[in-house]
Amino acid sequence: MASSRDVRDMLGLGVGGDAQKTAVQKRPKPAAPTRKFQGVAREVAALYGERPPPVAVYEEKKSYRAKRQHAGLVRPWIQQPFSNPARSDGLILKHWRRKPTTQPAPTSGDDTPVVVDSNYEFAKYNVQVEVPTFTDNEYEAYLRSEDWSREETDYLLDMIKEYYYRWPIIADRYDWQPPPKPEPTDENGDTNVHALSALPFAPPKDRSIEDLKARFYEISAKLMKLRIPQEEMGAAEYARYDILTNFSPTTERHRKNLAIALMSRPMDEVKEEEFLLAELQRINMAANRLDSERIELRERLDAPMPNTQVAAGLTSFQSSQALQALIQQLYQQDRSKKRASGSGPPRLSLSANDIIGTPGSAQHSAALNSAASARRQTLPNAAANQATPQTPIRTLTPAQEHRFNVSTHDRLTSGVTFGSDKLLKMRQAKSNVQTQKIAAALAQLGIQELISIPTSRVGEVFERLVGKVGRLLDVRKVREKEEGECRVLEEMRRRKAEQGSAEGPKKNEISDSQDQSTDPNANMNAGVGGEGTPAGDADGEVDIDAEGEVDADGETDTRTQTPSEAAMPPAGHKRSASVLSQTSIQSSKRARR
Amino acid sequence: MSTPNPSAAPNPSEYAGDEVSAIVLDPGYSTTRAGFAGEDVPKSVVPSFYGVLDSGSGPRYVYGENAIHNPLAGLEIKNPWSSDGIVEDWEAASKVWEYAITSRLTGAKPTDPRKNGLNDPSGEDMDVDMEGLEDNEKPLSDSPLLMTEPGWNSAKAREKYIEIAMEEWGTPAFYLAKTGVLAAFAAGKASGLVIDIGASMTSVTPVLDGMVLKKGVQKSSLAGNFVSNQLRLIFEQSQPKIPLTPHYMVTSKTAVDAGAPAQAVYRQFATPPGDSFRRLEEERVLTEFKESVVEIWNGPPGQHRFSQNEDSARSLPGRPFEMPDGWNQVFGVERFKAAEGLFDAAAAFTDEQHPRPKEEQTIPKLIQAAISSVDADQRTMLQNHIVVTGGSSLLYKITDRLGAEINALFPSTRNKLHAPGQVVERKYAAWIGGSILASLGSFHQLWISKKEYEEHGVNIVEKRCK
Repeated sequence: MASSRDVRDMLGLGVGGDAQKTAVQKRPKPAAPTRKFQGVAREVAALYGERPPPVAVYEEKKSYRAKRQHAGLVRPWIQQPFSNPARSDGLILKHWRRKPTTQPAPTSGDDTPVVVDSNYEFAKYNVQVEVPTFTDNEYEAYLRSEDWSREETDYLLDMIKEYYYRWPIIADRYDWQPPPKPEPTDENGDTNVHALSALPFAPPKDRSIEDLKARFYEISAKLMKLRIPQEEMGAAEYARYDILTNFSPTTERHRKNLAIALMSRPMDEVKEEEFLLAELQRINMAANRLDSERIELRERLDAPMPNTQVAAGLTSFQSSQALQALIQQLYQQDRSKKRASGSGPPRLSLSANDIIGTPGSAQHSAALNSAASARRQTLPNAAANQATPQTPIRTLTPAQEHRFNVSTHDRLTSGVTFGSDKLLKMRQAKSNVQTQKIAAALAQLGIQELISIPTSRVGEVFERLVGKVGRLLDVRKVREKEEGECRVLEEMRRRKAEQGSAEGPKKNEISDSQDQSTDPNANMNAGVGGEGTPAGDADGEVDIDAEGEVDADGETDTRTQTPSEAAMPPAGHKRSASVLSQTSIQSSKRARR
Repeated sequence: MSTPNPSAAPNPSEYAGDEVSAIVLDPGYSTTRAGFAGEDVPKSVVPSFYGVLDSGSGPRYVYGENAIHNPLAGLEIKNPWSSDGIVEDWEAASKVWEYAITSRLTGAKPTDPRKNGLNDPSGEDMDVDMEGLEDNEKPLSDSPLLMTEPGWNSAKAREKYIEIAMEEWGTPAFYLAKTGVLAAFAAGKASGLVIDIGASMTSVTPVLDGMVLKKGVQKSSLAGNFVSNQLRLIFEQSQPKIPLTPHYMVTSKTAVDAGAPAQAVYRQFATPPGDSFRRLEEERVLTEFKESVVEIWNGPPGQHRFSQNEDSARSLPGRPFEMPDGWNQVFGVERFKAAEGLFDAAAAFTDEQHPRPKEEQTIPKLIQAAISSVDADQRTMLQNHIVVTGGSSLLYKITDRLGAEINALFPSTRNKLHAPGQVVERKYAAWIGGSILASLGSFHQLWISKKEYEEHGVNIVEKRCK
């Protein structure tokens, strides 16, 4: 059935006027009450449009309580007598009720006896508890106890019935007085059968709540077993039977003693416990946070990096070189997998078992075991994680690397730097004097201020050269110092020879000789470590990086570092050297004096 | 919400109530409360004291607020209660209680004119009517009576209660409930520890499921009257002595400076009322003093005792009090000392007639004893529902102090004090609980009816009112 609307729709015409009407009609009912704005002018209400504001502001009209409805006759109230079926004595009490209208009109005088209402609505609350019952024979056969007489057992059951199994109250009110028994009339065996406690001279026992419970549960369990054989018990019944038989008054007593001890702790213990609980909560929260942080970190480590080459798909494997690279990569992964299985336990709590079986699990463990290799392999890993065919990574032999002038960097500083800047930096030492000296030395060697093509290799060579220059300068400095010392000593010896019998200089001599004995050592150090001093500034960042590498995987880095540099931080040497030079200056001054 | 129609009975399912116009009678040492069950305040509150006038023909008894405070010649004031919270003088007690019921509740009813015999055409029904008249002579012939008793009442006393109610008052049904249970009911609890600080007795009652744990009931005489005696001792021992003159002695007074001797015109009696009357009137002044000046000391946590921080109390501002004869003074530290004996026996004032109370009579010790006599499983529950009631629990800041003492006693449990802020609920808690109980539809099966009483005799009260 095509309505006009459908036709209009098909023809691409706008919705016609009557279609709007239907739309209005179709609006859900809840819109209807909103139209009844009260206290708002019609014009204002029209401004609301189709969507009225969510909160309609209008004043509620004052409304008075509805008038009482008089339905004709007044229905009088009477004091209706009633008897309670829950009572046995038929006590008649009166409560106010409406006079029943069905009664015949009081034609024969007003004093017609009011009918006693015997249907009392609250009688249903008269609920009695059930207490196990037994016959005399059953008692004699099964339920006899050394500790309990028949009379006291009956008394106990009466109490239970009377106090509705409220054990604390039963225990509170329990006051068994053994009845004064007549003298035992005969010496038959029957009288001896009675429990000792039933004898008249036995004082009433002080029964605790546990004793009472134990006796009652024992009776209940035995009677239960008697009434229903154990095999026929249902699950619920058997559970109850089990509870009844397993009641242990001593355990119960222990439990209560413990509870009392817990309740009667002094304030300090309570405070301490509160403190410890708070601490525990804090620790737990911290542990949770740590866990979540760890998980987050792990996710971050495993996150696949976007790889543009993946998008290229199979097309990237068309060349034989690419295929070769793929094989090589797979081989490398295989090797790292083997290495992972051979190494120690994983550092993070993620166990190796968790990963096995998931794609790229080997990479996971490898990544976890040796972070450095993982970092280098991040790209291949990411590629391997995805099941798509690998995109090749060119791995060049050293010869190729040399030929194509390819260098690998552990970390690149951001931004672009000029090689010439780097070279220029190497020329500068910490002090101006040193810089001038280096410049002079380089000029002597015939090296231009500006090297025309500062490739990285040139840079390397230059770096080495500058290092050597620095070492040379250091050695020169040491030599000058040594010469100065020698001169001083010679002068002293000369004076000593002149004076001959002076006491004072002797001490000087001793201290000087001590100086002398320490100096060469220090100078040696300075000489060895001196190599680092000039270059320290230039490749400081490289140093830091290298240290990080060493920390991370323990693999030795074969780059610019020399063992001596690693062992001796340059700054300290510089200071020690300057200290030494100061002392030597001082000593020379003293000598001059 | 629609306003409930006042003439419509409330929906029974709303409150399970069914009112049978039962009367609740809650006698105490200071006042006797009576009223209809289902109401929220006792209609009739009369003093338990009664006056004895020695007229020529024999002693004449007067009851009620107006009568006993009238300084008649030779008026002696007595109280049927003994100082340990059990009725001593049964005859007087029954008269006082009857007065409480009849003065406001039942009254002297005129007989129905149809039945009073005056309008009868013939004399045939006379005998029947006479029987009816006989019944009507008894004050309670058509109201069941619920009475309250202290938790430590003796079995003999309980039998006396039912005897009076059945024989003297002719009630059709009777029940005897314990004040502790009813006070717990008034607080909306079926279980709890009720601390009742009354006029003559302080009691601590553990209540479980609407029943008193008898072995846990603790009582002592450190209550309102004890505080009054402490005040008397303070007045006597202070230098100079503080005069205590009741109102009826003073005709006119003039304003004097604080501490200066009073300048008042005293009333002269040809035959003055007895000493007991003067004592009762002095007691009224002391009550006023307790209400307006006395405060319970509340120290910082851990050292709530007054003796631990007397110095800080000195810096607090005092409160002025003016005696009926115009003597006035600002009371500083004394106002904290007056009631300290309730909590700390060592802080009580003593003299020859008033020895130092025993430490185990103090309220904290009573609470401790009551709790420790209860089974371990119920202790936490009781400590969580502690109800404070009784007229003397209106002493200023006593609930704060009680809370501090209880927390010091049981630091490891959660102790919660329920002390209604309304004065009426605190003073008449037992009556209100009785009013609730006796208006419950399910309660009506528990009444001891007249028939049962006649069948079993007085000892039925032991069996039924547990």
